[in-house]
Amino acid sequence: MTCSLRTRLVIGTVGTIVLLLTVFSLILYVMIRRALVNQFDASLLSTARMLAASVEQDGNEIELEFEVRQLPEFNDPQRQTYYQIWRPDGAVVAKSPLLGADGLLRLEGSLDSPVFGVLRAGNGQPQRTVGFKFIPRLSDSNRVTDSHLTKEQALTLVVARDASDLHRQLYLLQWLLLITSGVTMALSVFVAAIVVRRGLEPLNSIANEIAAIKEDNLAARIKTTSVPAEIMPIKSRLNDLLSRLEDAFKRERRFTADVAHELRTPLAGIRSTIEVTLTRARDQNEYKRVLCDCQAIVENMQTMVSNLLMLARLDAQQISFHSEQIRLAEMVNSCWRSLCDKALVRETGFENRIPVEMICDSDPEHLSMVFMNLLDNAVEYTNNGGQIWATGRQADDSIEITVANTGCTLTSEQASQVFDCFWRGDSSRKDAGVHCGLGLALVQRIVRALGGYTIVDVQNTEIFTIRLALPARGPSTNFY
Amino acid sequence: MRLLIVEDYRPLQQSLTKGLREAGFAVDTTRDGQEGLWYAMGNDYDVIILDLMLPGIDGLEILKRLRAKGRQSHILILTAKDTLEDRVTGLDLGADDYLVKPFAFKELLARVRALLRRSYRQKNPRIKVKDLRIDLTTQRVWRGRQEIALTPREYGLLEYLAMRAAETVSRTDIWEHVYEFNSAASSNVVDVYIGYLRKKIEQAGKPLLIHTVRGRGYFLGGQT
Repeated sequence: MTCSLRTRLVIGTVGTIVLLLTVFSLILYVMIRRALVNQFDASLLSTARMLAASVEQDGNEIELEFEVRQLPEFNDPQRQTYYQIWRPDGAVVAKSPLLGADGLLRLEGSLDSPVFGVLRAGNGQPQRTVGFKFIPRLSDSNRVTDSHLTKEQALTLVVARDASDLHRQLYLLQWLLLITSGVTMALSVFVAAIVVRRGLEPLNSIANEIAAIKEDNLAARIKTTSVPAEIMPIKSRLNDLLSRLEDAFKRERRFTADVAHELRTPLAGIRSTIEVTLTRARDQNEYKRVLCDCQAIVENMQTMVSNLLMLARLDAQQISFHSEQIRLAEMVNSCWRSLCDKALVRETGFENRIPVEMICDSDPEHLSMVFMNLLDNAVEYTNNGGQIWATGRQADDSIEITVANTGCTLTSEQASQVFDCFWRGDSSRKDAGVHCGLGLALVQRIVRALGGYTIVDVQNTEIFTIRLALPARGPSTNFY
Repeated sequence: MRLLIVEDYRPLQQSLTKGLREAGFAVDTTRDGQEGLWYAMGNDYDVIILDLMLPGIDGLEILKRLRAKGRQSHILILTAKDTLEDRVTGLDLGADDYLVKPFAFKELLARVRALLRRSYRQKNPRIKVKDLRIDLTTQRVWRGRQEIALTPREYGLLEYLAMRAAETVSRTDIWEHVYEFNSAASSNVVDVYIGYLRKKIEQAGKPLLIHTVRGRGYFLGGQT
């Protein structure tokens, strides 16, 4: 499972702090250690030089000034500073009384570049030593020289001092740094957790708001105002998504409500017709008439259900097409034949202006459904005594068919809705229950599936025109 | 009792009209909203059965305009719209009842009868005037223990008088509430039917129930 963002941020922050703290502590330790050792060595060297300056040579005698020998640091067992002086032949000239029978390790540097060393005393205590060769001053001279003229007479001086204090200080420093780092790290975990939690609060509040949005309140939006700039785009996108979701749910609900409405009305018609008829005994002709009425209602319902099914299949791309050469004028005439009785009642004229030779490569079953719906719609909404006409025009690789009728009372805004399911121009809704507003929706979906498109035009006063553009070479795939 | 049906779906409109007429109501009917509004504004209907999705004018708009003009007719919305919002909107705009399609015709009849009782403040579906008993549900009439057979028109007239019992009812009121808009009858027919009703209801040795108030109309009840 992937770590939460919060855990990742806390781990990242604490890890960085630990790394930086470790590096910083190490550097600090090394620098302090070096400074302390240098300070210790400088003091040691200073003592050694002072000691060298106090050595006198009087002939063959080497003497160490009494005052120096009596200095407390060479005699106090607590301070433990030792010295030892050798002649060039290795004979020990003088040594610290604290050494007793022990001796120091001889180190032979020069006065300018003394040699420092570390050793462990007999009692196991750490010591730092410094050693160099030097020319003792003559008893009648008070100047220490290191000239080659007197090189043979150079003595070797080694001074050692107990470094326990130094090591104790460094040990203390180590622990101090370790404890400080440990406490800082523990605090950093705590602080990082708080900072990360506060930093992620806008995300949490957005998550809580989203969690509170249920299917029945999709109109709600994420309102959190104090959103950091990085999260602002997420908030906007989520609100956009919610808007789209709300629209989709609204459309679905409206569609379901429309379907329910359109089915309920004829069902109410059937039920009421039957129940009223059954309230008393009727003669045979009346029963027959009621059955015919119910049959007509059922047929209309069946048409609507078939259209709905077709729409659902078109939306789910489950319709299969097979293309063949279609003579458009002939197909339109054939569709008109089944409508001409209805048109005759309304005294509606029809003119088929599609060129007889115009051929289109398309699916005949579905294209005929398109023309049937277009012409039926035209007959239904043309004014009494009005006119319907169909035209055809061949473009480069498409065929444009128009079906137009007079008596249009739609505004441009209403016309833009004619392809919506269940939409009807209300004032023209002359025969409720017979037309449920699916015909043109079906036309649009079928034409789209056949690779074309539909345009509605009401620019010309009182003339309603639907323009279809179909590819001359039929649908590209067998299945849509 | 006089009803108006405004319903655009022809099979439903026809069957409702037929069923309600057979149930003894005077029924005016239209499939157009504009025409429905015109009927409702011009006549004093006891109950208006109103569809919502109508050509011309929407049912809710008709309802609003009727209430804005102070029309007191009881209005029953008959629609396929069944959401809570639709019901609340309809009732809040001044409808008295709401019935969703499809519905049982018996239920519609019962609701219409209930609205009528409400119109005339009659909670009891059995009206008693002296020894005359009228069952509004079964439309049966008794004088004492003897049941009286009435034609639908006679029953309609008696029911209207009984609903307004002990109240003088003018001929115009009777004519407006018992006869349809397209009826060829004039208010003189009222006198003729009152005569028919008297013949069937008044019995020798029993007190008169239908009284003529000269110049004003009729009333049903004991001696004034």
